Amino acid sequence: MELTQIAFWTFSTLAVLSAIGTIFFRNLVYTVLSLISTLIMVSGLFFTMGAELVGALQLLIYAVAIVVFYVLVISTVPEFKGKAVDPKYMLLSIPVGFLIFLELAYVSIYGVWQSNTGIFSPEVIEKIGNAKAVGTMLFTKYLFPFEVASLILLVAMIGAIIIGRKEEKQEAQG
Amino acid sequence: MIPYEYYIALSGLLMVLGLIGIIIRRNIIAMLISTELMLNAVNIAFVAFDMKLHDVAGQVFVFFILTIAAAEAAVGLGLIMAIYRLRKDVSVDTLTELKL
Repeated sequence: MELTQIAFWTFSTLAVLSAIGTIFFRNLVYTVLSLISTLIMVSGLFFTMGAELVGALQLLIYAVAIVVFYVLVISTVPEFKGKAVDPKYMLLSIPVGFLIFLELAYVSIYGVWQSNTGIFSPEVIEKIGNAKAVGTMLFTKYLFPFEVASLILLVAMIGAIIIGRKEEKQEAQG
Repeated sequence: MIPYEYYIALSGLLMVLGLIGIIIRRNIIAMLISTELMLNAVNIAFVAFDMKLHDVAGQVFVFFILTIAAAEAAVGLGLIMAIYRLRKDVSVDTLTELKL
């Protein structure tokens, strides 16, 4: 068994188990910890696919920055009184989800047969490196979406500040 | 070398698990966490197709998805904080103001 195969089976098994834990744990802290585990395993899968830049960004942005948001919000929303999992929908959702899984797998595998291959063959990637290839595409062909993404981050930051602040004026008046 | 179909199957499995999580959880924060699972499934599919088709455009889109996920988490959690401050509850069963 090759090393990449061992890595793939380990990472994928742990990712699926952590995802099952993410959707079935009743305590929210356990849910977020399972989410961190899933994100780290997905990052490892990116490394086995040869996408080092994306894997490192996944670790930095997802597994650290976004999860910290969730932990902060969970620490301010102390207790959840309702039931965590609704059994009425669970019996229905699992077979429907399995059918959707079959459809997704069939459509995505069938679609690749008819696509053209790009110019970044493994020889080219080996010569210039994955980070340089992604960066070249990002700053030439996809420069305008990159700038729009920065604008979206700015708008989201301002919106989060305005939504999340306490309205002290109205409390003082009322 | 792992065939890319395995990655696609794993991506579909994570996607469906996130969908089941959105359906069965009754807590808004847990539903938002399930969306993160679905976004990760899409990321795996993008990178797997890149590996198959010898391209890097999918990894660029994974970069954009990371950005949008950060924005989505910030705005979504801000909304959850506003809802909690207003109602002292984050269960979707009681958020029925728009119901006829």
